[in-house]
Amino acid sequence: MNFRAVLYILGWILNIEGAFMLLPFIVALIYGESSGFSFLIVGIISMIIGLIIVLRKPKNMTFFAREGFAVTALSWIVLSIFGCIPFIINGDIPVFTDALFETASGFTTTGASILNNVEALSHASLFWRSFTHWLGGMGVLVFLLALVPMTGGSHMNIMKAESPGPSVDKLLPKVRQTAFVLYAIYFGLTALELIFLIAGKMPVFDAITTAVGTAGTGGFGIKSDSMASYSPYIQWVVGVFMMLFGINFTFYFLLIIKKFRQAFALEEVRKYILLIIAATAIIIISIMRSGAFIEMPFTDKLRHAFFQVSSIITTTGFSTVDYDYPNWPLIANIVIVALMFIGACAGSTGGGIKVSRVSILFKTVKKELTLFFHPKRVVLIKFDRKPVAHETIRTTNVFIMAYIFVFVASVFLVSIDNFDFTTSFTSVAATLNNIGPGLSNAGPTESFAAFSHFSKYVMIFDMIAGRLELYPMLILLTPEFWKSVFSPNRGIRVYK
Amino acid sequence: MSIFKKLKLAREKTLNIIIVGAGKVGSTLADKLTAEGNNVTVIDKSPERISRLATTYDIMGITGNGSSYGTLMDAGIENADLIIAVTDSDELNLLCCTLAKKVGNCSAIARVRTPDYAEELTYLRDKLGISMIINPELEAAREINRILHFPSAISVNAFAKGTVDMIKFKLPKNNMLCGMSLMEFRNSPALGNVLVCAVERGDDLVIPNGSFNLMAEDIVSFIATPHNAYKFFRHIGLGGRRVNSALIIGGGKTSFYLAKYLHQSGISVKIIESNFARCQELNELLPDNIVIVNGDGTDEQLLMQEDIASAGAVIPLTGVDEENVLLSLYAMRVAPDIKAVTKVNHINFSNVINELELGSVVYPRFMTAEIIRTYVRAKKNSIGSNIETLYRIFDERAEAIEFKIDGDSDFLNIPFKDLKLKDNLLIASILRNGKSFIPGGQDCFKSGDGVVIVTTHSGFTNIRDILG
Repeated sequence: MNFRAVLYILGWILNIEGAFMLLPFIVALIYGESSGFSFLIVGIISMIIGLIIVLRKPKNMTFFAREGFAVTALSWIVLSIFGCIPFIINGDIPVFTDALFETASGFTTTGASILNNVEALSHASLFWRSFTHWLGGMGVLVFLLALVPMTGGSHMNIMKAESPGPSVDKLLPKVRQTAFVLYAIYFGLTALELIFLIAGKMPVFDAITTAVGTAGTGGFGIKSDSMASYSPYIQWVVGVFMMLFGINFTFYFLLIIKKFRQAFALEEVRKYILLIIAATAIIIISIMRSGAFIEMPFTDKLRHAFFQVSSIITTTGFSTVDYDYPNWPLIANIVIVALMFIGACAGSTGGGIKVSRVSILFKTVKKELTLFFHPKRVVLIKFDRKPVAHETIRTTNVFIMAYIFVFVASVFLVSIDNFDFTTSFTSVAATLNNIGPGLSNAGPTESFAAFSHFSKYVMIFDMIAGRLELYPMLILLTPEFWKSVFSPNRGIRVYK
Repeated sequence: MSIFKKLKLAREKTLNIIIVGAGKVGSTLADKLTAEGNNVTVIDKSPERISRLATTYDIMGITGNGSSYGTLMDAGIENADLIIAVTDSDELNLLCCTLAKKVGNCSAIARVRTPDYAEELTYLRDKLGISMIINPELEAAREINRILHFPSAISVNAFAKGTVDMIKFKLPKNNMLCGMSLMEFRNSPALGNVLVCAVERGDDLVIPNGSFNLMAEDIVSFIATPHNAYKFFRHIGLGGRRVNSALIIGGGKTSFYLAKYLHQSGISVKIIESNFARCQELNELLPDNIVIVNGDGTDEQLLMQEDIASAGAVIPLTGVDEENVLLSLYAMRVAPDIKAVTKVNHINFSNVINELELGSVVYPRFMTAEIIRTYVRAKKNSIGSNIETLYRIFDERAEAIEFKIDGDSDFLNIPFKDLKLKDNLLIASILRNGKSFIPGGQDCFKSGDGVVIVTTHSGFTNIRDILG
């Protein structure tokens, strides 16, 4: 393991985080809050540490897959730890575990909160909480790749480890250009949403936090009732933009380079839209049948159903109503839990298993069934009308298995807290899939405050593992990783 | 790409290059061209190769047939500046370049290696509108031929249409040059028309000045006209006997070209080839007084029988690198003053090979990549001057670049001693009116000059880059 290079990247991560911490400080200045100084102090300290590390660039910057995974996992842990210190210093979240949970939840764009009374927080803390979504949504390492010129190849290994999806494609020949374009699209869409929200007379602070929260598909609200108290117009805007941020960013890239036909032919995007329509329809029908919403006009039903579907499938986690059973019928809740696992498109800011993976798995099952009738038939699994490499299918299968293992193990560990089944199950589902609210005691109007410290750490692990698609975090659990950390091979002479 | 311009990404001058074929040369090119900051897209039929390349280098990989319209469009042929076709098949390379020329407005380089086309390369190039056709085997044969003219040289690179050579040799112990300062060297009448431009000592590379002292075991690169170089070697006692016979082991394409060259310069040639049909073929294609022996070139008995020890030079050109290395080592063991030139095609570990005392080693894949890189550099360059040739010395640490100066520039006609030049840079040779000379402080650039620069800076694309 080239630990020196890993450390170098971590140094840059600290620099970036430190620099971004100046933003909440500015917010504090605007609102005249003293809590902003905690961000200034921690920001400066992390920048100093970061600068000391990056002062000397290691000669050997070779990055293999293992370094890519290691640096990604460690970056996210470092980000969460440094990001939570201001909360502790300014007293908004005094307990370390809670602060770490909140920050990890922010960076991983989960949006699960341990706060019972969000409104009590200072503006600076509220802003930082939401802004971590924006940073974590597209990925801090991707940001680093766009910003810092790093000569030599192999940086694809970093991008691969941080970007979600079964196979990561470059939009442009160079990693740096690709990262730059991704952030440009990301920034553009965020700005667009901000304009729409402000046009809907949303207060500017609310609009900014909501826009960055939507962009990263995070879901931290600055109000305890999330989006419920805003006007229908704002709810529509947020609902639509959540859906947009769940779309594979390749789609937008193709639109920019005017390849419209190719863009709209993307199989994943089509299936994703179909899923949203189908899920919305099922929920509307179910709430119409339940009788509890007789007086509600159809447009409101449509809005609430669409908003919740869009929020859950993109793993954002905003809500406009308390959909927890028995408010909404059970079938609507089951649809929501199913959407939690499916997640958004690969290459978007959303989490979950991803539409493309589910689709590939579905096709594998279909192929297996066909082979019962025609054992000798040759069937290629195709996606986007191209055959899927066997390697991709294999890694997809293994990914699902790993997902189930991590999920079951986490539910087992969280169940020690002795909540009801729905709570334990959906709290893990909501954190592993980076959604935020689950159901029952972890539902949209509740918080994660009641869980034990141990459960919170399990969920912190789940959130980061879910955001990084398991492997980077699982690698940290292998003895081989720690062996290679503590015995770096210094003896090799680097020929250059 | 239009998107670059929109996002103002094109701050640095980059070329959009498509490489078709991810083999040895394709991979080497992908590595080197991305390192020079170009946007590289690689097309290959094999998904494994593409994914390996895409994770190792900063390139975009596309799986598909490089001569199909759809694949080329996927690779962004419309916005490409250059397409390089280096697949296994000559015909595919030519087709790919022709098609690319029709679809996009780009330059095209094709690798064509079959001897059948060797005579028609210029015709093909002009008729198909291809910018450059490369024949790696022919280039390798040329380089080996050059080396054989100076048996004490490790490598010989030609500049200015062959009027000057850059020759690298290792200074033996107890040579008259050992301990001599370059000031003395330059002032000596017998040595003055040779310019030492780089010295490799251990792990260091120096572009030496007058106070530099030469030492035994130094690897010295100098520039001189072939005639002066010959006299120089004679003078310092490294002239050796001129190679008058050569034993080539293996009868592939390179052997064919090399045998032709050597025959032209009056060296008697013997080829050992194991495939009988190929022997017949060679016999038919090559002049009659070239001896063609059918047998296994790695058979010690056969080598003895053909009297390897009496050959002036041995050139193992089998398809297997390890065999070539062993054959050279063997030849130098049975005949210590034999000249061996080893061709290494596949294996990496060049640092290990360098430590093996093999004499001269030729890397065809690097040569091909080098020629293409020279072209790319020249293409990046704007008006004013042009890169004609570019060689890398001592791995990648120094470059010898030949520029062509044409048009008017403000630095013309100013004596060098008044020009502010960068450090670690040497104006090694100027070709003017068909004659090369080593410039001094009172000389100056004139329009139409061919100039050879040796420098440890990299990335020069324009003669202006030498100004500090």
